[in-house]
Formats: sequence, C-alpha cells, structure tokens
Amino acid sequence: MNRDGRSRGGRGGFSRNAGSDVKAAYLFIAPAIIGFTVFVVYPLVRSFYLSLTKYNGLTDPVFVGLGNFRRLFTVDPAFWPSLRATGYLVVLYVPLSLALGLALAMFCNQRFAGVRIVRTLAYLPVVLPAVATITLWKFILNPQVGLANTILDKLHLPTSLWLQSPSMSMPSIVIVMLWGVGGTMIIFLAALQAVPTELYEAARVDGAGPYAVFFRITLPMISPIMLLQVILQTTAALQTFNQPKILTGGGPGFSTNVLMLSIYNNGFSNLGRIPQLGYASAQVWVLFIVIIAVIALTAKFSSLWTYSDNTPD
Amino acid sequence: MTTLPTDPAETVAPALTRTVDRPRRSTGKRPLRVTTWYATALFICAVMIVPLLWMITIGLKSRNAVFEVPPRLLPHEFHWQNFLDGPKAIHFPRLLLNSTIITVLSVLGGVMTAMMAGYALARLRFPGRKVWFYLFVGSMLLPGVVGLIPLFQMYKSIGWYDTWLPLIVPAFFGGNPLFIFLARQYFLAIPYSIDEAAKIDGAGHLRIFVSVMLPLTRPAWITMAILAFQASWNDFLNPLVYLYSAGKWPLSVGMAQFVSPFAGQTPNWSYYMATNLLYMLPPLILFFAAQRYFIQGLGSLGSTTQK
Repeated sequence: MNRDGRSRGGRGGFSRNAGSDVKAAYLFIAPAIIGFTVFVVYPLVRSFYLSLTKYNGLTDPVFVGLGNFRRLFTVDPAFWPSLRATGYLVVLYVPLSLALGLALAMFCNQRFAGVRIVRTLAYLPVVLPAVATITLWKFILNPQVGLANTILDKLHLPTSLWLQSPSMSMPSIVIVMLWGVGGTMIIFLAALQAVPTELYEAARVDGAGPYAVFFRITLPMISPIMLLQVILQTTAALQTFNQPKILTGGGPGFSTNVLMLSIYNNGFSNLGRIPQLGYASAQVWVLFIVIIAVIALTAKFSSLWTYSDNTPD
Repeated sequence: MTTLPTDPAETVAPALTRTVDRPRRSTGKRPLRVTTWYATALFICAVMIVPLLWMITIGLKSRNAVFEVPPRLLPHEFHWQNFLDGPKAIHFPRLLLNSTIITVLSVLGGVMTAMMAGYALARLRFPGRKVWFYLFVGSMLLPGVVGLIPLFQMYKSIGWYDTWLPLIVPAFFGGNPLFIFLARQYFLAIPYSIDEAAKIDGAGHLRIFVSVMLPLTRPAWITMAILAFQASWNDFLNPLVYLYSAGKWPLSVGMAQFVSPFAGQTPNWSYYMATNLLYMLPPLILFFAAQRYFIQGLGSLGSTTQK
C-alpha cells in the first residue's frame, strides 16, 4: 500500500486523482453497503413476503395472502389484548418519560455545588445492562420481601402486588422503565444548554415570571428536540421487550403481553410449540406500520408546536 | 423574539461539553431555595442509588435471610463469600468469557467499518455518496424488529443458528448506521488541507486513513467503541433468539435465565445479586473512566446538521 500510494501521488497530484478516489471510496464503503443490502434491505423485503405466508421455518412458505392479518384481527384472542397492552404502555410511559426527563434536565441545568453528582447518578441506570437492572427490579417489586413494599409499609402507605396484580403489572413495568429516565434527561439537558443565555436575561429584564419563561422561551426553544424525543421514545416503547419478557412473561393474564413479546412467542419460543414465522411476520408488519404512522403523524403535526427560525415573518 | 439565533437542534450537543453555566440565578441569598434544591437532589440520588445498594445488601445476605419478612435493610451477618460462590454457581466465568469474545469482536468490527464508511462519505468524492449517506441515515429509523424473522431464517439456513456469528458478523458490515453518521460528522470537521498535505507527501488513502485520520478522530471512535461495547454487552434479545445452547450464552441471557419463571426452583437471590454486580461492573467502570470522551463524542452529533 505504501509504494502504491507513493507512486500514485507522484504521478499527478490529487487533482487528477478523481478516478482513484472513486475506487478507494467504494473500497472503504463496501462493507457498509454490503451490510445495508444484506441486513436491512433483504430482511425488509423478505419479512413483507413472509407476512403473507404460512411458514413454520421447516417446510416451504405457503402463500396465504392477507390470511394472517385476517386471523390476527378477527380470530386470535390474544392479538387485541396485546395491542391494548402495547398502547397502554406507550400512553403511560412516553408522557411520563418526557415530563420527568425534562424536569430532571431543568433541575440539573442549574448552578449548584454537587449538580454533577446528581447528573451522573441520574444517568447511571442507563449504562447498566438491562438484564441486570430488570432482574434487580423484579426482586425489588416482590410483594413479600421486596424493597418497594418494605418502604411503603414503613411509611404507612398501601402496599401492592406489583407485577403479580393484573392492574398494577403494566404500571410496574413502566416504573422500571422510568428508572432509566436519565437517557431522556441527557438529551434535554443538551438542548437546554444550547438555549442562548441572552434570552433568559432579556426575559428577566422584562420581568417575566418563571412560568412565562418556561412556556415562552424554554419550551419553544427546545421544541425540535422535543419532537425528536417523542419519536424516539414512542418507537422505543412500541418495541419494548426486555421488561415484560423478564419481569412478567406477559402475565398475569394478558396484561403485559405486549406485541413484541407476542411476536417472540409466535416466532421463536422454544416451549415445544411449532414456530409460526409467517404469522409472527404479520404481527411485525402491524407493529412496523404503527411505528411509521407515529413518525409520520408526529412529523406532520410538528409545525404546529415546534419552533423554527426558518418561518418567514 | 425576532432575533432568535440558530435552530437549537444544530447547536445542542456541543453544549454537553460545557459545564453548567446556564440560567444563572442568585443562589446564596435564598436559603429556602437552596434547601429545596438539596432536598430534591437528595431524593433523586436516593431513587437512583438505593436499588443498587439494596442489590449489594442482598448479595451479602445468607440465602435464607433474603426471605425474611419483614426484610431487613442491612444484612444480619455479612456473607462476603457470596461474591465467590455465587459466580461459580451461576457459571459466571463461562458466561463472562462468552460475553467478552462476542463484545470485543463486535466492537472491533463495528467501529472499524463505520470509520471506513464515514471516511469515504466525508472526504472522498464519488458518485452516489449523497444517496448512500441518506440511505444509511434513513435506516436508523427502521425498527430492528422488522429484520428479526428473516435474519433468523437466513442465519439458520446457512448454519449460523446457535453460533456467535449472527452477533458478530453484522458488526463487520457497518452494523450500526449511527456510527457511520457519527464518523462522517467527525471527518467533515477535519480541515482538508491535512489530507492534501499527506497526498503531496505521497500517502495513499489507506495510509491517510490509518496514520492521519484515526489519530485525529480519537474521540469519535472511542465514543463509538463505548457505545458498541454497551450495546453488545447489554444486548438480550439477539442472543436469546440466536443461541440455543446454554454453554454459548453471553451474560445477559445466562443471568436472565436464573431468574426466569421456567428455571424451576426458587433462585438463590444472594448468589444472583452478588453476581449481578459483577455483570454490571465492566460497563460501570467504562462509564466512569471514559466519561470525557463519551461526552465529547456526543457533542459532534449536534454540530452536524449544518454540513
């Protein structure tokens, strides 16, 4: 390579190197292009085809048209509950995560001794392996010997069955997820630090109160990041798998049997059942379409509530 | 409000590198405010740290003391031995070795191929470079679940099921589009006169990439390496899907298995929590050791959209 490079340089400087640039570029980018084709494009196409087939992974897929989708929406007793569980999770988790994340970011954006410690600790759960923290929480939420009920009991507050109660199981999962709110916080914190100080100074000169400052300066200025967060958090929440898989296995009843868990159980579970890969692919596509819809709707309505300095005035 | 500066999205992350110096308000003169702040801070810290302390406490209790009702917050007697016996009982050394091999290789592949792609996208002119950039960035939005079943079938048909290959090989093909994006942004920020000088000195692209660009982009690839390490070390779904034999499991699947409802008897929680701490340790150490690079690297994410 050394000799090669030298001779090329000697031949005519970089202005005449356009051809070798192209060759080099494609050599450098080849792995990524191959990866994109094999691990992104192919699965996308293939998964769409599979969703239209009956396929157990052993014999060849049999084309059934929209049969899987018909079965999902009209026959399967577990599908609507899983859709409802997924929706419930999103509705509960996303607003709380955004509100808590922003509140935490605003708190950590102040000038106090020790603020770095708070920030670091708040971000800590995000770096820890999900399995490690989720199993820890499984024990914390144990109704008899867990920390959660012990503390509630000491404070003379009502205790709960947490994961074992059909009505509390999903809120419990959301609590576990919210422990990782530091991830949301760190992005909001970056957005808050980018808001020009002059704006706050001007507002103070004008005598604006904290609420006016928040709603008329802070919120509009971070609205593009808010938009990004809505999309990221919602798509992530729609694909929640680890928590229900480890904490509840989908129960009690179908209360936490979210779509991802249902897909996994239909497609891969080794519980002696025949894998239904075509059927699971149809579920994947339902989830995929929901995700696309969320992104499209959020982006479409974003102009209503995000601030942009490109607007002509 | 007409003189508002640039879109916050553009300047967001560089701010991360700064220490907190924003909305400054007088603090010293308002004791009540200070008290409220510290009370809240204490509460936040407690919520974040108490579960982890509780984990250590359980790790130090005897097997039966864990099930005392009401539970004691501090162990009656300290069983330090749990930190040695627990890992053995949970086959920790084997799982640790598996995790390490998988993680090291996928970090290596992911960072290397992303840096290469980023170099080409940012510093070389070739037909289709805009198109590929948008395709890679667009694929970031694609939910991972879409590939799950076809990829599973693909690996199965070429005999990769129940091997580590599905967890490693994709990394060597630009596995994470975010990394390609990050690398490109970093390369864009480097002055072009540098490679012009290198070219005049007779260096080829490989030479420029390895000896000039890699040292200059250290924060970028260190950040990627940290992110890739965490992603691989913490990944649960992929190994769960692709690995059947317990002997090949990484820590994530192995650890989850011990507390799974199908595992049979009640797990030995003391052993488990002691081992859980060891499982958390590498990402924890890495986080504290590399915080600086981590934050610098994230910073480049924001300075991006202008180019």
